[in-house]
Amino acid sequence: MKRLGSVAVVAAAIFAVAIPFFLKPYGVYLISTWAVLTIAAIGLNLTLGYAGQVSLAQGAFVGIGAYTVTLLMQAGCPYPLAFVAAGLLCFGIGWILGYPALRVQHHYLAFVTLAFTTLVFLVLRNEEWLTHGTYGISGIGRPTLLGWSTVSARSFYFFCFGMLCVLAAATWWMLRSPWGRAFVALRENPLRALSLGLDTQRYTLMAFAIGSSLGGLAGALYAPLVQFIEPGSFALGLSFNLLLMVIVGGSGYFFGPFVGALIAVLLPEWVRITEGYYLMVYAALIMLMMAFCPYGVLGMVERAIKAATRRNPSSPAPAAVLGVEGTRS
Amino acid sequence: MSAVLEVVNLSKRFGGITAVDDVSFDVREGEILGIIGPNGSGKSTLFNCVLGQLTPNDGEVRVDGKATTGMRPCDLNRLGVSRTFQLLQVFPQLSVRDNLILAGQEHQGTMSSRLFGRADAGLGEAADQMIEFFRLSHLSGEQAGALSYGQQKLLDAAMAFMAGPRLVLLDEPAGGVNLTMLGHLRERLQAYHSERQATFVVIEHQMEFVMALCTRVLVLAEGRVIAEGAPQDIRRDPVVIEAYLGH
Repeated sequence: MKRLGSVAVVAAAIFAVAIPFFLKPYGVYLISTWAVLTIAAIGLNLTLGYAGQVSLAQGAFVGIGAYTVTLLMQAGCPYPLAFVAAGLLCFGIGWILGYPALRVQHHYLAFVTLAFTTLVFLVLRNEEWLTHGTYGISGIGRPTLLGWSTVSARSFYFFCFGMLCVLAAATWWMLRSPWGRAFVALRENPLRALSLGLDTQRYTLMAFAIGSSLGGLAGALYAPLVQFIEPGSFALGLSFNLLLMVIVGGSGYFFGPFVGALIAVLLPEWVRITEGYYLMVYAALIMLMMAFCPYGVLGMVERAIKAATRRNPSSPAPAAVLGVEGTRS
Repeated sequence: MSAVLEVVNLSKRFGGITAVDDVSFDVREGEILGIIGPNGSGKSTLFNCVLGQLTPNDGEVRVDGKATTGMRPCDLNRLGVSRTFQLLQVFPQLSVRDNLILAGQEHQGTMSSRLFGRADAGLGEAADQMIEFFRLSHLSGEQAGALSYGQQKLLDAAMAFMAGPRLVLLDEPAGGVNLTMLGHLRERLQAYHSERQATFVVIEHQMEFVMALCTRVLVLAEGRVIAEGAPQDIRRDPVVIEAYLGH
């Protein structure tokens, strides 16, 4: 069963590498968006799905990352350096944003982070000397990395997908370490965790900081992907959209954000044939999906596998298929 | 024998109510001290003050002679003071084995060594031994939330012992556990106590359990210590009988 899971991941990876050769530029742009938003959603899944800290600020971190990388590049900073700087800056800001989480939880925390997102939007819009306000910044170039130009849509997709693989692998590795166990403990029972020697304060701040830095890195890819940024792209809508990806994919499942981002990026495109009604149809489909699989797509898959295993008790535990992500049931 | 835990003139007030009123006692190395008392007599509040979950209004707590009043629960735990809770406190979606590894992992290395070190923090074997000791081997890979109440109580106790604590405070370990499981739990606690020379403080209502397990008993009523002594003497003490039956 565990092999079945690995086979599925390898097959998906091969598909992801092959698919741009069969798509028009717009299709390549869409799957690049998927790769970028998946990184941001992985960050939110870490903060929310694993560590249980509700955040409506992930979109703001994507914005901070996008503006950081753009402004630094305009100042002559090479892209790789600006990329790292975006991640580090968001790590720092995320750490600070974690402090309210030490005092308030759940929907109270949601409002604190919502206020932060609004604040970031206002700064991006009003500080025109730095951000050009509502006009945004256009003509953002794509980098040349070690002699490899990422100017074409396809090569930029490969760059985004490569970064997704690297960051996802790093996250996977972290979640397998004792830190991953500590994050889940934070979500499940912080009081007990504290009495077992877990410095819950430090782990909470860490969950926020790492999740936010992944948001920032996604932003650092978003800017050269779209080649245009403006404050409205990083307002509350994006934060809600990222939250939707985590919940729809399966919060607390490692591959949840991959699936959730795929649905959030592709579904609106597929229902575009309904013309003017497409957002309504999209919204209705999301509502139906949440009503019938509240634990997300992967939660539903896990249940189905569990049910099948019960009928056939010789198979190994279903959690093995989903690996690290199987912390929800 | 030296005192592992000293509680000196401890008081805790909630508004106008004094939940713990000038309580002093010592816990000596290797003993099993029982704390009994009617509901609302301040037992759990006393525990929470000793363990840093609550900050006492007055008084001092010392562990091995070192003042620990106001210390964070996680720091106190790393000094070797462990606890169980009155209500079940396991991590339902982690496996039994992961619950135990978690209970030990913060006691070694640093934040970064835990990030870059082994996934089981080098505790896999110790966790398996603890699972064996509490006879939960057949449940090792199960999610803790799938266990029966009694089994979760055993796991809860096992977690408290995982880091090899000097002092364990057990808050109603027998509460809600059936008789078979109760005998098993008592026998395991006694086995652990004699094997590791650990020191226990036990809050309990179940008198048989206290009488069989504890070497000394402290009686609380309305936040004060009203009696202290060997279990058989406490049972006959008219003050204790009055406190339990007089209301």
